[in-house]
Amino acid sequence: MTSQVIEMQAGTGQQFGGNQSSPANREIAVSLKNCSLSFGEVQVLNNVSLDIYKNEFLSILGPSGCGKSTLLRLMLELLKPSEGGEISYSSDKPSIGMVFQKPVLMPWLSAIQNIELPLGLGEKKKFTKKEAREKAEGALQLVGLQDFKNHFPHQLSGGMQQRIAIARALAADPAVLLMDEPFGALDEFTREKLNFELLRLWESPDTSLSTVVMVTHSIQESVIMSDRIVMMSPRPAGVEAIIPVPLPRPREVGMEEHPAYYQTVKELRKRVKHL
Amino acid sequence: MSDKIKTILYPFGFAVGFLIIWELAVRLFAIPVYLLPAPTAIVSVIDANLGSHMMVTLMEALIGFLLANILGFITAVIFVHSKPIEKGVFPLAIALKTTPLVALAPLLVVWMGTGYSSKVVASMLICFFPILVNSVKGLKAIEFEAWELFSTYKGTKWEIFWKLRLPTSLPYVLSALKISSSLAIVGAIVGEFVGANKGLGYVVLVSSYHMDTPVMFSAIIASAACGLLLFWSISWVEKKLIFWQRVDEV
Ligand SMILES: Nc1ncnc2c1ncn2[C@@H]1O[C@H](COP(=O)(O)OP(=O)(O)OP(=O)(O)O)[C@@H](O)[C@H]1O
Ligand SMILES: [Mg+2]
Repeated sequence: MTSQVIEMQAGTGQQFGGNQSSPANREIAVSLKNCSLSFGEVQVLNNVSLDIYKNEFLSILGPSGCGKSTLLRLMLELLKPSEGGEISYSSDKPSIGMVFQKPVLMPWLSAIQNIELPLGLGEKKKFTKKEAREKAEGALQLVGLQDFKNHFPHQLSGGMQQRIAIARALAADPAVLLMDEPFGALDEFTREKLNFELLRLWESPDTSLSTVVMVTHSIQESVIMSDRIVMMSPRPAGVEAIIPVPLPRPREVGMEEHPAYYQTVKELRKRVKHL
Repeated sequence: MSDKIKTILYPFGFAVGFLIIWELAVRLFAIPVYLLPAPTAIVSVIDANLGSHMMVTLMEALIGFLLANILGFITAVIFVHSKPIEKGVFPLAIALKTTPLVALAPLLVVWMGTGYSSKVVASMLICFFPILVNSVKGLKAIEFEAWELFSTYKGTKWEIFWKLRLPTSLPYVLSALKISSSLAIVGAIVGEFVGANKGLGYVVLVSSYHMDTPVMFSAIIASAACGLLLFWSISWVEKKLIFWQRVDEV
């Protein structure tokens, strides 16, 4: 099966949002070219090509088991594409943060220590102990768990653990943030709150965060948050379509009433059915 | 009544009941003392001398236990970082484990004499395998995603060891320590059976020659006490150290 890249315009084709100049003249943050990947006999990714731009919020939608997590692992260079595939980054290799599908917390470390963990890793230490503590505390505040600073993972609920994992990724000040269903385990209230918190953070000039790639199962979430949505086909997965979201920025609560929101959701639903 | 009190009171109550029945049975049926001494007869032979023999056995077992566990853990670390060494040496370790210690003990006495060292080594031999197997298992038990996390943030091999492998292995290590805490005493006593002039194994052996059953009982009870002491100490350390994992009781 060959995958085709269809750039389609939802709605009237009218462009909203000041920072969305046409992709052609935008700076690329991560670029995948003809990436295929197999685990033994099982082919998971089939010829995936995808450019991800700076200052972009990109969501990836696709059926379970199609290779979304695998795609993120390629971007993290935890896996290598097979012959012919290529992954390149903007000239200054961006610092990448990752939120895994599972929280992956160290059970012997407290919440704050877990968040500090990546800050202290690597040959050249980027932060002093004091800086690391401050960054960790800031990130903890961001996810609203400052009161659970000294709790251990087994004393936290599943959703709280996932928020610690998000805080851990944010604390390291990444330029590119990869998230694998980060809000999947959360209740609707926390989920919506964190959706917008993340958007504020991404928009804020105070953080170095410029690109977010988020895998999600929720069509609504992908539309409300992203600039573009990548639809993946079933395994062996390719890029089925890339759908731009013509909603203005900044995104706000209540934008679900926007006609462009409806149209994009409808379009995505139709495509999901056809997969 | 709180559960805590119950867990202490119930076994204690049963033990006291058992001792009373034992005492009464011996007196009622006039069982000869060389067959089964009454509890009071056993208590009457417990003295400082028994205590000093107990200290000897405890020290031998403890030293063997510590050395074996340090060596076993280091070996496990080497195994985990070198496949060829693991493949080459593991079969030897298994061969060593399947050789009965009782068969080896006389050789140890031939090599090292009747002093401390042969008992320490006997105790080491029996403690070495549990810690080796459990440490290898524990050091390898890291979650794949946790390894990915460390790699994503450029964690060095050293950091992956200290901050991930080592803490992951702790529950496995402690469980091995619990197993080998009682085995250590076995090793020391087997060593003493073969050739010694002190220690609980020696007391058991000599009292059996003399048909001095009360002394024999006192030495058996003392050896059990040594094992319990070690086991409880390790359990206590485990409870303090491994707060994040529920301990499966042995
Ligand atoms: N380490 C591995 N070894 C072998 N097969 C693997 C491995 N990792 C993933 N796979 C296979 O690759 C396929 C894609 O897995 P992946 O985790 O990327 O899916 P996904 O799109 O993230 O699914 P989900 O939405 O359920 O998380 C699956 O069929 C899985 O069985
Ligand atoms: Mg996945």
